[in-house]
Amino acid sequence: MADIFDAYALADAWDEMFERPGEVRTAYEPVLAALQPIEPSELRFRADQMARAFTDRGVTYAFAGEERPWPLDLVPRILDALEWDLIQRGVRQRVRALEAYLADAYGHARAFEDGVVPWRLLLNSAHFHRAAHGIEPPGGVRIHVAGIDLVRDEAGDFRVLEDNVRVPSGVSYVIENRRAMTRIFPSLFAEQHVVPVDGYAQRLLAALRAAAPDGTADPRVVVLTPGPNNAAYFEHALLARLMGVQLVEGHDLVCRNNRVWMRTTRGEVPVHVVYRRLDDDFLDPLHFRPDSVIGCPGILSAAMAGNVTLANAVGNGIADDKLLYTYVPDLIRYYLSEEPILPNVESFRPDEPGQLEAVLDQIDQLVIKPVDGAGGQGIVIGPKSDRETLEETRKAVIADPRGFIAQRPVALSTSPTLAGERMAPRHIDLRPFAVNDGNDVWVLPGGLTRVALQEGNLIVNSSQGGGSKDTWVLAEGPTENPVPVSPGALPDVAPRQLGPDGNPTVVQEGAQQQ
Amino acid sequence: MNVNLNLTPTATVSRRLRIKHTTRVSYAQPAASSHNEVRMTPLTLPAQTTLDARVTVNPTTPTWSYWDYWGTQVTSFDLMDPHADLTITASSLVETHPPGPLQGAPTWLELAEQSANSRLLEYANPTPRTTIPAELIEKAREVAAGLDVHETAVAVSSLVADRVSYLPGVTGVNTSAAEAWDQGAGVCQDIAHVTIALLRGLGLPTRYVSGYLHPEQEAELHRPVAGQSHAWVDYWAGDWCGYDPTNRKRADESHVVVGRGRDYDDVTPHKGIYRGVAGGPPDVTVEFTRVG
Repeated sequence: MADIFDAYALADAWDEMFERPGEVRTAYEPVLAALQPIEPSELRFRADQMARAFTDRGVTYAFAGEERPWPLDLVPRILDALEWDLIQRGVRQRVRALEAYLADAYGHARAFEDGVVPWRLLLNSAHFHRAAHGIEPPGGVRIHVAGIDLVRDEAGDFRVLEDNVRVPSGVSYVIENRRAMTRIFPSLFAEQHVVPVDGYAQRLLAALRAAAPDGTADPRVVVLTPGPNNAAYFEHALLARLMGVQLVEGHDLVCRNNRVWMRTTRGEVPVHVVYRRLDDDFLDPLHFRPDSVIGCPGILSAAMAGNVTLANAVGNGIADDKLLYTYVPDLIRYYLSEEPILPNVESFRPDEPGQLEAVLDQIDQLVIKPVDGAGGQGIVIGPKSDRETLEETRKAVIADPRGFIAQRPVALSTSPTLAGERMAPRHIDLRPFAVNDGNDVWVLPGGLTRVALQEGNLIVNSSQGGGSKDTWVLAEGPTENPVPVSPGALPDVAPRQLGPDGNPTVVQEGAQQQ
Repeated sequence: MNVNLNLTPTATVSRRLRIKHTTRVSYAQPAASSHNEVRMTPLTLPAQTTLDARVTVNPTTPTWSYWDYWGTQVTSFDLMDPHADLTITASSLVETHPPGPLQGAPTWLELAEQSANSRLLEYANPTPRTTIPAELIEKAREVAAGLDVHETAVAVSSLVADRVSYLPGVTGVNTSAAEAWDQGAGVCQDIAHVTIALLRGLGLPTRYVSGYLHPEQEAELHRPVAGQSHAWVDYWAGDWCGYDPTNRKRADESHVVVGRGRDYDDVTPHKGIYRGVAGGPPDVTVEFTRVG
């Protein structure tokens, strides 16, 4: 019988589902058995159904200036218990090392004095916020939430591609993907024990409450969003709702006498933990960009005084730039006296003696990444680039060797993905999310699997047209769903207050030195 | 060009200075609220002891103080009720001592090694404000040819002071070193920025110093005189050495240090954000009284 997997040809990469053509990996057997009998037109119908459901729920993303329903592929990505154990331990180790690095960089600077990391990585970083110096985060936690991007290489080994410890996003898609899949394909879940993901919000809330300033009896947590125009607003709203806490914008908060308050219709109430989903630069116009109207003036001083906790901490950007990435294996050895559980992708630093030449010699075989790029922007994949692009890249690297790193290309693993009415191999990555409550780094089972929807494409970011897959971690035994905590009634946020002329004008002042 | 190697301390005894630094902000319309940071408290250093210092604010509000990354004492406060004006008064009593003799300068090679991989790097790289065209650095290189570190600091400072004449009102609080050079005029803040830009361009770690300068070298006791908030530079010669390019002399017992950073932005005496209508610059007075 002809089915959607018939024409499935393996690409030149590790395939998540098939060991060899026609030979399915054990973990995927039940999924294959469930999907194989389904008519292609029926699959397409279910995919459309899912897209409509996402649009209705507001689960969309912006691509090329338009709102599109979140693209979820029907074939789940499965991690067996053994694979997950490795990933979980590796991510946890990584987060612990990055926490130690941040504490060191904003503290005694041992790693620099000891020559493990060059001083310039810290001192020249645009993300080294000296204004955050002196903030002692409760429990020593600066990375309350991390997203560690992993890829799987040709040999099937997981490698870290990138760390995200500032404002990592995407966890709402993990939650929504699972919700959609259980509705559209309930039968898929019948055969296997898939570890649930809906405990995330409660874990996050517990970690945020644990991060409250010492001595706070009943800490109030809020989610601070840049507002509805932000691409991740849906996520901010979802997390606030699932945690049962208030979603606020900068103008809903006020700093008075070094404490943070939320304006409500019943007056001002104290805020102890701000899970902020806006970048450092916009957080406090007194310390950072004075033109920011989405932040809250004085909030950094309140954090400095120990009256409020900002999660994640200010200044974490020094720990997740692409140059520091190349040192993380060394940091794991230095701070933890452990060997890295998850290796990096093999990387070069063009600013080191001899490395620039090595990179230029084989630029057509390497991936060149700008140190400060985000969302896949500015990445040049040597083997797939024309002469002109390579020449431009060569010039850019020569002009600013510190602005780039080079990596061996990894043929990201593939997973069968619905393309039209048949299955085709598409490259995927994985972003597990970790939550640090100060005692333990908990990793959400699974994470966000992103998929490059175009054939052969290796960049999976949704801003570059990528899709996603529900990510399953298989439990060894039956699992129980956590009991959701019902959120109490929340006070309403008071209407926005404006300046005397009706505008919330923020003005910077200062006297020249004569 | 006249290179004045003014390397010996001019005065010999310690002195006590009372400083009163008043900043008055009058808003075009009452400000709904404001958040402020003040860096006006003199440091205690080997050559300077702060005997007494306080910052008061009117309208009255609680203040809070901390030490920032640069080691400057910061007074922070907010005003959450509408206010038509704001007065910040920083008063201090400081004992200053003449600087010690200059130590032997490290060679340029030693200096390069010291600053390549240490915290000194922070003061060796240009900031946006102190980024200056390469041809100006070439000019400084010509002036400094064959000179040691101390001599270079003096020669480059003179080059700057010859080019950028002291003229208030031409530049503003946000003027960059390159702009000040082009205009050929500015105030101590600008002259310090240009000097920093050039010395860093030659590989000499240099920092911006914010503080006060008693306007009269031989001041009469107990007579208040009007002065200003002042800025000069520290260059690294195995230790930090103060030099005042505006006045073409080493920093001495007439200078009172408040803060040190990469440029003005790290040590801004008063930084504020308020909700309201943009107004003019604040009215600033500094009064000095030598009391000992």
